[in-house]
Amino acid sequence: MAKQRRPRLLLLITALMVLSLLAGCGSGGNDSANKPVPSPENTSNEGGKAGDAIVLGEKPLEFSFYGNYDWYSMPVWGDDLATKWIKDDKKVNVTGINSGGNTKQKLNTMIVSDDLPDVIWGDRGADIENMRANGLLVPLDDYLDKYPNLKKWAGESTLNMLRSPDGKLYQFPNWYTSQPNGNAGYLVNKKIYEDLGSPPLETTEDLYQYLKLVKEKYPNVVPLEVGQKEGIDILASAFAENHPYRFNLMMAVPEGNELKSIFTDSAFRESLQYSNKLYREKLMTQDAFSQTKDPVQEKVTTGRIAVFASSSPTEFGVMGDSLLKAQDPDAGYIMIWPVHKEGLDKNKIFPGDYNQLGWNVSVITKAAKDPEAIFAFLDWLTGPEGQSVSMWGPEGLYWNGMDQDGSTIFTDKYTSDPEGLAKVMDSTVNFQWAGNTVYVDGVKSKFEQTLPEEKRNWETRWQLEITWKTQYNTTEFVNLDPAGDSEEGIISQSVFGIYEQARSKAVLSAKNEEEVLAILDQAEKDAQKVGYDKLLKYKTEKWQENLKNMKQ
Amino acid sequence: MSRTSFGDKMLSFSIYFLLTILAFVTFYPFWNAAVVSFNNGTDTILGGVTFWPRDFTLDNYEIVFQDKRLMNGFIISVLRTISGTVLAILATAILAYGMSRRELIGRKYYMIMCIVTMYFSGGLIPSFLLIRSLGLMNTFWVMVIPGIISVWNMIVFRTFFLALPVGLEESAKIDGSNNWGVLFRIVLPLSGPVIATLSLFTAIYHWNDWFTASIYINNIDLLPIQTKLQQILNSNIMSDQMGQMDSAALGRMAQMKSVTTKSLSMATMMVATLPIICVYPFVQKYFVKGVLVGSLKE
Amino acid sequence: MTPITIKKDQKLKTNSLMRRMFKQWDIQMMVIPALIFVFVFSYIPMYGVLMAFQDYSIYKGFLHSPWVGFKHFEMFFNAPEFWTIMRNTLVISLLKLFIGFPAPIILALMLNEVRKASFKRVVQTISYLPHFLSWVIVSGFVVSLLSTDNGSINILLQSVHLIKEPINFLAIPEYFWSILVTTGIWKEIGFGSIVYLAAIAGVDPHIYEAASIDGASRLKQIINITVPSIIPVIVIFMILAIGNLLSAGFEDILLLATNPVLRDVSDVLDTYVYRIGIQNSRYSYATAAGLFKAVISVGMLTLANLVARRSGNSLW
Repeated sequence: MAKQRRPRLLLLITALMVLSLLAGCGSGGNDSANKPVPSPENTSNEGGKAGDAIVLGEKPLEFSFYGNYDWYSMPVWGDDLATKWIKDDKKVNVTGINSGGNTKQKLNTMIVSDDLPDVIWGDRGADIENMRANGLLVPLDDYLDKYPNLKKWAGESTLNMLRSPDGKLYQFPNWYTSQPNGNAGYLVNKKIYEDLGSPPLETTEDLYQYLKLVKEKYPNVVPLEVGQKEGIDILASAFAENHPYRFNLMMAVPEGNELKSIFTDSAFRESLQYSNKLYREKLMTQDAFSQTKDPVQEKVTTGRIAVFASSSPTEFGVMGDSLLKAQDPDAGYIMIWPVHKEGLDKNKIFPGDYNQLGWNVSVITKAAKDPEAIFAFLDWLTGPEGQSVSMWGPEGLYWNGMDQDGSTIFTDKYTSDPEGLAKVMDSTVNFQWAGNTVYVDGVKSKFEQTLPEEKRNWETRWQLEITWKTQYNTTEFVNLDPAGDSEEGIISQSVFGIYEQARSKAVLSAKNEEEVLAILDQAEKDAQKVGYDKLLKYKTEKWQENLKNMKQ
Repeated sequence: MSRTSFGDKMLSFSIYFLLTILAFVTFYPFWNAAVVSFNNGTDTILGGVTFWPRDFTLDNYEIVFQDKRLMNGFIISVLRTISGTVLAILATAILAYGMSRRELIGRKYYMIMCIVTMYFSGGLIPSFLLIRSLGLMNTFWVMVIPGIISVWNMIVFRTFFLALPVGLEESAKIDGSNNWGVLFRIVLPLSGPVIATLSLFTAIYHWNDWFTASIYINNIDLLPIQTKLQQILNSNIMSDQMGQMDSAALGRMAQMKSVTTKSLSMATMMVATLPIICVYPFVQKYFVKGVLVGSLKE
Repeated sequence: MTPITIKKDQKLKTNSLMRRMFKQWDIQMMVIPALIFVFVFSYIPMYGVLMAFQDYSIYKGFLHSPWVGFKHFEMFFNAPEFWTIMRNTLVISLLKLFIGFPAPIILALMLNEVRKASFKRVVQTISYLPHFLSWVIVSGFVVSLLSTDNGSINILLQSVHLIKEPINFLAIPEYFWSILVTTGIWKEIGFGSIVYLAAIAGVDPHIYEAASIDGASRLKQIINITVPSIIPVIVIFMILAIGNLLSAGFEDILLLATNPVLRDVSDVLDTYVYRIGIQNSRYSYATAAGLFKAVISVGMLTLANLVARRSGNSLW
């Protein structure tokens, strides 16, 4: 009996497999058959019609928009003052495509099924480059000269850097800039600092002595808060000149014309020895590698920290400062000039960095019926009028016209109705797709200067005094990451695993300075085994290409 | 029942004791989430909000209830849960009853065919292409139809059906019922506890599932509330991704993030989970010992 | 001559099979529509497992991606992490099986002994609440509970003088497995007990009455009456749990083991596949690892089913 049954089972399974295969191939076939068919109207040369630029508002424009972030959910277009004005006046309507908190998979399924949205907004990098290489994106070069704003505000070198390997421009940048910005640095609890006699806080040794003092006098305060371990990275900047913490994230350090291993980099090694010492002596956050963001925010806003090293300490600092000041006018937070190792030039210490390309980009896909109109819209959005409307609402409420330099003129309501203004700004934060840093920051600081000192914004003050001066331009190091499924990409994932583990072991598990070095030496060996050298070569090449592009 | 020995008393006491501790330990986090949802967001950041709101406010709920999309998602979730549960339980019960009949020819192969699907799956992309070619993309039914047959539920159903006294069906057959008649007139009415349990499980699955909608539905008006909640929760763990960015971007992100605070996400979570939690007390009455036997006697 | 008779035989057999199936059409009609459904939604997409033997690219699609044989399996088995991952997966799974599996059964048995209906209802409802908290929230609680800075556990241990300095629990690999298993039980114990409560509800109360008249203590009644009557359910769940031994956890580990120092003890199959495969869109690699997992799982399931068959309860 049993013998007779088995073949039948096998038969059944085989039949099922074959059937499912056939069915599968059927649907798979359909899919790939209708795939790479760029619609002819998109590829037709619109440059030929140069001169007849599209004027927004003459013809209705409708497109779909997909934000490639798990947390991003586009608000309904037209529900707030700004987008309602754009909808009515410029006849632009945008429909959001929801990522549902599941970005990666969602984008991939859209690509597989050729159901792309008209515009994708997301980080620069492998995802977008892959779409470009497979011909899913529309080049923007033809439109660049027809519309004034992007070309003018982003500038040639930024646009060159955004260009893809085929020499064409596909990416529309967001919050691009030509001047330093960023907030990385050290926040100091003013009250504690003054109570302890305001000792000098310039070198790493000063900092160490100060933290010891804090621990002695304020046992319930965290001497050095490092947040979710990013403070540990920031410390690396103190041990070498021109060494922003980005090198840690890159897992590569420039030396001459080459990118070298992070594990053998002396600044990185010293910074981990330093962190390890602070950890062992309980001078820094003990659960930096496991805590969530909430406790960090709680500690900073309640003043239970003495020093806070972070990539964006102002985020909690603003709030903490006002809360502490409300209780005690002498309390609050100050920022200090970044600490450095004895003997280094303090003006060459850069805890953070910025790059000209800004935060992220929008790309227009071949699914778009009228890519030029979309470009025209984005270009308008990044210009003075678009920026003003999308930041501060339609004209006539909080702003009215531009001055002769082209800067937005604020109305009295701008200062007299802070709550209404905050409401408008809050309702449009998720529509900032083509932010123009130079313009907005320029308008804001111009306005700040008209205010009396005590009314000036805490954050703006420290940005002008310290942080903007201590951010390093890392534009030449953008786009060094290989695609995830390439050989270098696979190496990169392994090396990243080794890096993360070695760093946490070096800080948390090492019993002395020698052990830190031993852990890093072992990490170097392991990394070489999985092909770190090849990865570094790849990154070096990319870096050199960038340098060439920037000089163009 | 009058003779309770010392041992029984001890047992009874320790059971009450352990259950009280368990109840407390499991209740606190949920309670705390509720408390935070009623507390002023800025105040919550200062920490120390535990058993009772310190700065009571309904603001968080006001924002949640004002959000048209959230309320819309709520309705979608209710519709989906009801239709999905009713259809799935009915279809799965019929399958399971058939599978529980020992005389079913091919029973073993059918069973193996079902079990294989619990372990082997083609992954997301082929499923996506299938759903798309079936025309289910962007429809309400994509959240209901593919999940109608649950192999796991079928196995549980079947296990319970197998445990039913054999005599029952025999007598029904003598009365002239065929198998469908036996299922609907005798077996299902006797399966109160298991139907209640599996309906609860299925309803909870439908209520909590955010993934299906996130992949197959682009139309915002069709998204269930959990998909929305998922995004709000995601924005709170955004910091993980933030480490990879430059500090300028970080500042911008911080600006954008200010819209969702912890309190707001807790309020959303409360709104999103309380309705389904309230289902349980109604299910509980089926867990009284002897339901089955009681109905047998009639 | 012989071949013909065999053919005839087979024909006869299939004929009679069809006839027999047709005779029980009412039962077959209960099963077949549902199975067609399973076929459409589960078997048709199953060609996707073949991606494990391709270098699948979302741009090229299934038909145009190159075939590479066992390349991804080789890479997976030769990955330096492979043995650590397998060890962690099995250890964590076995811990969850031996501690996490019986816990809801014990809870159900305890709840069944409670005579006060109101107390029973309250405990039952409360114990199932944590199931509805997402892992993001739960892990947040666990991390703050175990924190060195004002974490309740450290404060408690310090106040009873068990420790002098706060312990950084989530940075010490030795503690991780216990933390993970405890958290999992805490979150799912109440919810898991529901199905056992349903099973217990089917026990004839007269048996208890008879036992009680015979003078059996409550504990004896539990062991001799309640437990045996829910054995079929326990066995089936046990078989399924053994089939899932390679699914040691995913979200819980991802969120509790954020500290890379724990990776040597926390990396399991599913988290590894997610990190390496899904996050980097390496579909073929992820599918290969998934296929490996499925084959082993079905193997273990079959074995468990074989053993269980002796007790008279089996899946097929």
